[in-house]
Amino acid sequence: MSSNNSNRKVVSIIAGILTFMPFLFLIMVPTYVKTQPELGGLPFFYWYQMLWLFLAAILFFIAAVLWNRFGGD
Amino acid sequence: MLSSYGLAVFLILFAVFIVLGFYGRRWRKGDLTKIDEWALGGRRFGVFVVWFLVGADLYTAYTFIAIPSSVFSIGAIYYYAVPYVAVTFGIAMWAMPKLWKVSKEKGYVTASDFIKGNFNSRSLAILIAFVGIIAELPYIALQIVGMFSVLTVMLYGIGNIKFIEDVSLIIAFIILAFFTYFSGLRGATLNAIFKDALILLSVAIVIVVALMNIGFSKAFTNLPLKYYHILPLQVNAYWSLFLMSALALYLYPHAVTGSLSAKSPKTLRTSQSLLPLYGVGLALLALFGILVRGDSSAMSFLSNFPLASRGTYVVPGLIFYTLPSPLVGMAFLGIFIGGLVPASIMAISQSNLLTRNIIKEIKPNISSKVETQIAKISAVLFIFLALGFVFMFPLSYSVQLQLLGGIIILQTLPSLFLGLITNRLNKYALMAGLLAGLATGIYWMEVANKFGPWTTTLLPINNSVGPIFIGFLALMVNLAIVLIGSVIALPFSKK
Repeated sequence: MSSNNSNRKVVSIIAGILTFMPFLFLIMVPTYVKTQPELGGLPFFYWYQMLWLFLAAILFFIAAVLWNRFGGD
Repeated sequence: MLSSYGLAVFLILFAVFIVLGFYGRRWRKGDLTKIDEWALGGRRFGVFVVWFLVGADLYTAYTFIAIPSSVFSIGAIYYYAVPYVAVTFGIAMWAMPKLWKVSKEKGYVTASDFIKGNFNSRSLAILIAFVGIIAELPYIALQIVGMFSVLTVMLYGIGNIKFIEDVSLIIAFIILAFFTYFSGLRGATLNAIFKDALILLSVAIVIVVALMNIGFSKAFTNLPLKYYHILPLQVNAYWSLFLMSALALYLYPHAVTGSLSAKSPKTLRTSQSLLPLYGVGLALLALFGILVRGDSSAMSFLSNFPLASRGTYVVPGLIFYTLPSPLVGMAFLGIFIGGLVPASIMAISQSNLLTRNIIKEIKPNISSKVETQIAKISAVLFIFLALGFVFMFPLSYSVQLQLLGGIIILQTLPSLFLGLITNRLNKYALMAGLLAGLATGIYWMEVANKFGPWTTTLLPINNSVGPIFIGFLALMVNLAIVLIGSVIALPFSKK
């Protein structure tokens, strides 16, 4: 039972960190206020944040699956 | 004006849409006398359906009219919608399954039900319901702007612009009122999937065609710096806009409904976690606001409209000049019902709050027949009230309608989100915080707009901080009062 509880704790910390990543990177706005490097003529500012839509989905999905399997409801 | 071929496609698809709406009322039909069945589709939707249903809340006129319009008129700052969508589901995937569990256990259908049970306070629940109803009004108005702008572009050329705009507004209102009165929420599921399929297909086609014909390099040529990225002084405005929008989305009464219709908390969490992908279409639509500048025929069409309303025609205009007319008809219908379905869902959730959390609290023994009648009529009434907000901001800045709704709905955050985490908050402190947040929010709106007509929801602070979203400032006032009030009240509460 106690190992189960400590597992739960580890999973909640990992899921928490994964969920927090997109917030952390996107809240640091000055890091992406720039034009270069461009992607197909699109300034960095735009494509970098679009990239985060994919990264956020991946990170959130891993967090959700981990928690659903080992964490609880 | 749209060719008769394009118009035919528009009308045929609209007929399909209406049929789907009626068929949807019988689809997966349950016992409709139970409120869960009527309002939440019986809580049995899986990952895929919930993904579409919750995602459908994103593809509204906000996405394909308001954001591209602001990117076009003002610049990169209105790309904040992209980080907003990237992070909002990180909040939802933890908060909503929790709300789902409590709601299932106690039979809650609205957020006000939860507040009433959690804080054991009827007046706080009524207050929250009332604030929810008010916050939806400008958001519905934004949807009407979306429907209206498609109609205006379709009818363009049959008379002078003023006349066309008046006719378009009247048609949009009548269709919305009828649809809401006769359809219900159950019909909305299939409609939502149909609408998103049309939108996603149209966005994909337009982006491919526009990138081949125009390309970003050409579109960005000669544009000022504020279109390449935000300016250094807009950093605080940027994060406050996207973070507050992310917090606000799930406080809206209509957003709660889609989440509660999931089969289980785990299904709901998985579904939410994948929703940032839905934002890719939103990001591409925002970029239409830039791409359109590379299309000379679309730009010359836009120059027929004054600056104050020009932005609102960016997406319909670009579609009109890049696609063949049958596809234009399809895309226009997508935008049209993309305003219609959310507006109707919002009006229904308002009338649910009114009947369930306000009228029944005061007069508990009305019959269910009378209740339904009140709900239907009040939904139409709310749409009529929303009309009053349509021209509150110049059409090019219609995104401000959603942000105004955000300032209002954010004030319910302490009661709802903090209420999910702790039950040690004092109900009187919550009420005082909410009212203070609303009062300071409105006051700062007046200050930011120099007590004149409203055009912005950003309050300039000073030369080093720059402007900040008023919703953030008002929420801070609210939270401070809630926390201090709850701490002071702690020794007196006998829980």
